[in-house]
Amino acid sequence: MALIQTTALAGVEVLGARPNLMLLVVLIWAVVRGIDEGLIWAFFGGLLLDLLSGGPLASMALALLAGAYLAGQSLGEQVGSRAIRLVVLTVLGATAYHLTLLLILDWSGHAVDWGFSLLQVAGPSVLLNALLAPILLPSLTWLERVTGEEGLAL
Amino acid sequence: MRQSKRPSMSIRRQGERSWLPLVLLIVGLLLLVFHESGLLAPVERAAHYVLDPLQRLFSSVTEGTGGLFRTLRDVRDLRSEVEELRAQVDALKVENVRLREYEAEAQQLRVLLNFVSDYPISTYLGAEVVDREGGEGFPAGETVGGEPNPYLRYVTINVGAQQGAGVGMSVVSGGAGLVGRISEVGPRTAKVRLLTDTESAVAALLQTTRGTGLVIGEPDGSLQMRYIPQEEAVNVGDIVLTSGLGGLMPKGLVIGQVTEVQQKMYETFQTATVRPAVDFARLELALVVTGFQEVPLDEASEK
Repeated sequence: MALIQTTALAGVEVLGARPNLMLLVVLIWAVVRGIDEGLIWAFFGGLLLDLLSGGPLASMALALLAGAYLAGQSLGEQVGSRAIRLVVLTVLGATAYHLTLLLILDWSGHAVDWGFSLLQVAGPSVLLNALLAPILLPSLTWLERVTGEEGLAL
Repeated sequence: MRQSKRPSMSIRRQGERSWLPLVLLIVGLLLLVFHESGLLAPVERAAHYVLDPLQRLFSSVTEGTGGLFRTLRDVRDLRSEVEELRAQVDALKVENVRLREYEAEAQQLRVLLNFVSDYPISTYLGAEVVDREGGEGFPAGETVGGEPNPYLRYVTINVGAQQGAGVGMSVVSGGAGLVGRISEVGPRTAKVRLLTDTESAVAALLQTTRGTGLVIGEPDGSLQMRYIPQEEAVNVGDIVLTSGLGGLMPKGLVIGQVTEVQQKMYETFQTATVRPAVDFARLELALVVTGFQEVPLDEASEK
């Protein structure tokens, strides 16, 4: 998935926003399977992305952890439809992902323009990925069914 | 009663490990700190041995997919680009004739004045670098990976330490347009920090007035040439080149063209917005400059 993100999806932009496959999968998995599995996917998927990135190691792993932690919360489980809840949790998780990533970049000495990054990069990306989440949900639901009740063991 | 197997989202929260978020957070923070201190460099290099070939394989496999997306995007822009290019072709035809005249004149002057320079004109021009593509001094690199972090601007090229690439080397595209500098080298791949990354800063000069400044990447992907002295004349359309000062990269590589000048009389310096010479989104082939003649210290101090 990390390889697809850095090769096939590297140049893909929709209205200035970039779809983030790894983020989507981690967030949806955290929603579908709970925090534990979401965090594990986030950590190892993020590390792989970090190794393929020029940025600080573990930056995307930590950012994905923050996203998965929020998305895996049992907020509003009894309220609204599944798709709407997924979109809301994706917005929360993706926002946490971008904020954490920016904080780490700022901490590690990269020049971060907060206004531009939040409005021009994070904002559109959060919206796009929130819209894409329901589209990706069926395939991950299928994968969830195939992998069974036990899920991934530590 | 048998429960449905259809997941209802968050049905598996029983037995969750309350310590897991904390453990992963601590491990992540430790990795981040060790990375920043350089302790993990050998491990990261080892990981590249495994990941580099995989990334290259994926890159070749997914090239078709990426091409489809690019095609869709290109169609949208084609109409306006055709119009723009037609106008440019007309202008360039006229300019070409004029440049041929200049070239002939310069040739004669050099012979007549027994012009001697530490920097032959050929080293100022991109053509020389392009001509030596694939030669010993300039291993040709193909970009294989894009930057997954949306706030950074890097590309990965498929030449690394084994081919002679090293950290700090300049990377150029066709026409000697400066792409950036290598920030990290693996055995067979290298990460190139693009000119437009916010960490990038390149000593530059204006081709016409020789005014110097520093070209810095902006978060929106544009370039700003800062610290241009107020007395320098900066015009829209001026070509911006690397100055070679500092000895970090060759002199005369094309950075871009001035599109806007911001001059305020009460400030010490003026700033120019520069359009990069390289289309980073369509960058496919690159050249790594492995050796060049540095600007001598006396010339640097004069600047």
